[in-house]
Amino acid sequence: MAWEQVGGLREVFARKKNFVQALNKVDLKVYRGEVFGLLGPNGAGKTTLIKILCTLVLPDEGEAYVYGYDVVREPSKVLRNLQAVLGDPRGFDWRLSARQNLEFYAALYGLPRDFAKSRIEGVLEFIGLRDRANDMYQRFSTGMARKLQLCRALLLDTPILLFDEPTAGLDPASAIDFRRLLKDGLAKSEGRTVFIATHNMWEAQSICDRVAIINKGEIIACDNPENLRRYVKPEKGYVFTLDEDFGHSEELRSFLSEVSRLEDVKGSRLEPGPPPKVMVRVDKDFEISDLLELVVKHGLRVKDLESYEPSLEEVFITLIRGERYEREA
Amino acid sequence: MNERLDVITALRQVLAFAKRDFRDWRTYKTQVITQLITIAIGILSWAINATYRNRPVPEYDTDYISFLVVGLVIGNLVMPISQALERRLNPWTLENIIMTGIPIPIFVAGQIAWPYAFSLITFIPQIMIGILWFGVTLRVDPLSTFLAFVVSATILLGLSMISIGFRLVTKSTDPVTWTINTLQQLLAGISFPVQFLDSFIPGASAFSWFLPQTWVYHLWRLSMLKAAPITDPAIQLEFLKGSVFAVVLFPIGYRAFRWGLNRAKRDGTLGWF
Repeated sequence: MAWEQVGGLREVFARKKNFVQALNKVDLKVYRGEVFGLLGPNGAGKTTLIKILCTLVLPDEGEAYVYGYDVVREPSKVLRNLQAVLGDPRGFDWRLSARQNLEFYAALYGLPRDFAKSRIEGVLEFIGLRDRANDMYQRFSTGMARKLQLCRALLLDTPILLFDEPTAGLDPASAIDFRRLLKDGLAKSEGRTVFIATHNMWEAQSICDRVAIINKGEIIACDNPENLRRYVKPEKGYVFTLDEDFGHSEELRSFLSEVSRLEDVKGSRLEPGPPPKVMVRVDKDFEISDLLELVVKHGLRVKDLESYEPSLEEVFITLIRGERYEREA
Repeated sequence: MNERLDVITALRQVLAFAKRDFRDWRTYKTQVITQLITIAIGILSWAINATYRNRPVPEYDTDYISFLVVGLVIGNLVMPISQALERRLNPWTLENIIMTGIPIPIFVAGQIAWPYAFSLITFIPQIMIGILWFGVTLRVDPLSTFLAFVVSATILLGLSMISIGFRLVTKSTDPVTWTINTLQQLLAGISFPVQFLDSFIPGASAFSWFLPQTWVYHLWRLSMLKAAPITDPAIQLEFLKGSVFAVVLFPIGYRAFRWGLNRAKRDGTLGWF
């Protein structure tokens, strides 16, 4: 599949000031229809980068563009192709209803009146706020406020949507709903490009097609989550849950000793339990049959066997601590 | 947004601000009532005060109460242009409004629309009371008054944009506007003709003419109290002097506003206050 590039940044610098986290020679490409995640610790420069794309922060050097339009020189064209849901739910008049607030923004977007009316009803329906559309904004919960922000961002029907910490402050159920909306509703069904900045690793792992990891203003890795896990932490692991009789047995000690001598085994340890568990970390290409032969040889009774792969969180921590990532998808 | 500004869309955008602000205003029912009562009491208060102190104002061939009423006219028809923009600037919503891509002039006009309309509505009963109850005499030249409005609105809009440009960066008051506003209280001839200053400090009124607000009051009073015709060369000269402030201040104000906006964008402080 040929990916069409819809936006990006080229050698962007933003100097460190009171509220702007410096960006240092940031290069990034975002493609049509993907869910792109920007991961980074607090203060890494995620919001600064997002606001540059939104034309709300001006970069000191470099270029940022959306559909070929420069964010500094052609902000109005950029904003016809991109809208954002920024961190705090701001910008609504809390004494007006959700519908009235959307009417205001629809007028500012320049939507013709009749079209605006049907568009507002459409987005309220799509987001699931239609029943509460006449409620004053001040009565909205955090989750509803976030949804109303999304309604506003959808009014213009832009192909790109940016989210800064999309599920921050939402309860778990609302967060799940919102992630589903981003991934299935906006990206899959409607074909929009969704760009999220987050420090929620699980969120990025579960909905992003590609992620970039930013730290201290620099992009230190950019790839799909699978590749990041495979290349940054090229290992996997197995957990053997044993019968309780084997907790301190001679057979188990002997098993662990032989396991550690196997090629491509990176480490093993015993958790006494009960029930006792043996964790074995191995190279990603390791064949489990070697391990199973040892299990049979030492007569261990295995009640359960699980395999696991490193999470994006582990990858993130490894990279943040300074490991270099050379590969890029 | 299309490169060419669609006039109807622009008007709708300005009206959208006014509609939002009106809807918001009317939800504060107590505030609406108290605002109207305050205005009524205010009218009575200054009118009684002015009647008590009434004396001739030879500089404009009028009496003191009529002199003050023109100040009221300026306060309702011109001042809201600058005050509304300054008071309604809300950085918390600024980012979202800027993200709609509306041009700066529409944003400025939109912020002013409702406060100005409200001021206009409340002005009508005030002027009626002044004329019918307190015998205010106005000798108005319509064309001069219109020109006075244009010149003074341009001056105040320029000052207001300078103020906002600074505030976008400093997030509090700005020294330029503070200085001008403070001096205005004493020197601009709000509640007495500037020539009266000379009886306290000889020659002080000369400084007044360097203040843009002095020209706002002066041109309106010429137009509404002396029926000064714009065809008169002496009056043209007065308007010309006032216009110099307008021509200088408006572009400076626009540039200051843009400077403040860009500086705040570069600093990443647009949404901060």
